[in-house]
Amino acid sequence: MPAHSLDPNKWVDRYSDYLFNYTIVRVNNREVANDLISETFLAALKSAKYFKGEASERTWLISILKRKIIDYYRKINSRKGKAEVKINYSDDYNEGEWLEEQVADQFDRTAEDEMENNELGLAILECLDSINEKHAEIFKRKTIDGADTEAICNEFNITPSNLWVIIHRARTALAACLEKNWF
Amino acid sequence: MSNKNKIFFIDCSKAIDCCNKSQYEEASFLDKAKLLLHIAFCKTCRKFTDRNSKLTHLIKKSKIETCPEEKKQQWKEEIKKEYAEERT
Repeated sequence: MPAHSLDPNKWVDRYSDYLFNYTIVRVNNREVANDLISETFLAALKSAKYFKGEASERTWLISILKRKIIDYYRKINSRKGKAEVKINYSDDYNEGEWLEEQVADQFDRTAEDEMENNELGLAILECLDSINEKHAEIFKRKTIDGADTEAICNEFNITPSNLWVIIHRARTALAACLEKNWF
Repeated sequence: MSNKNKIFFIDCSKAIDCCNKSQYEEASFLDKAKLLLHIAFCKTCRKFTDRNSKLTHLIKKSKIETCPEEKKQQWKEEIKKEYAEERT
């Protein structure tokens, strides 16, 4: 019997935030990210019969999304030469000094930092997968969306003290999970 | 505990509650002061507060976002429609 099965009706609730954060750092455009996620869901449905159940649903969706991202870059770089990076080493004014100029600035780690932060974000979302679905949803609304306590209480029909108990449990579980998986 | 002491000293459960609320800027100044006083004496709550603040810092640093609700609804409908077609 396969270890994992597919439940397409739960995909959006379970994985859309994860897929979105995975995509946005790679394509840097919200519209494109949303389109790629939509295409991923539809492609996944079409190839659902080939899912063997060896990987988790999320891993499987990510593998489809990765191909969609690669296809996207292939498409926009399809014209010959567009994808080439051209560096001009000879400069009349700075002849002989180009080497120093081209050396990477070791303090400028912006790209690496961005990737690391994105991986951290994905690790947080993965950890949230392991807690109660409703608690994770409430935690996300409060912590990531920054929604008002009152608004969340109305939305989920809970009291403020319920909300803080849920937040406390989610934070404790998340901290423990991150300590195990991130550090 | 006398009433006077109750104003300044809180128990661990109240301290944890204050700590969680202060992560969302929802603890009052007085509550934060009480929490500081409590963690000066309570090692367990001090550890909890450190861990909780670290978690807040990590979440902010990660810059995670959630998808807009209308987009989620749109995807749900697309999947539902496509799934129904696939099954027929």
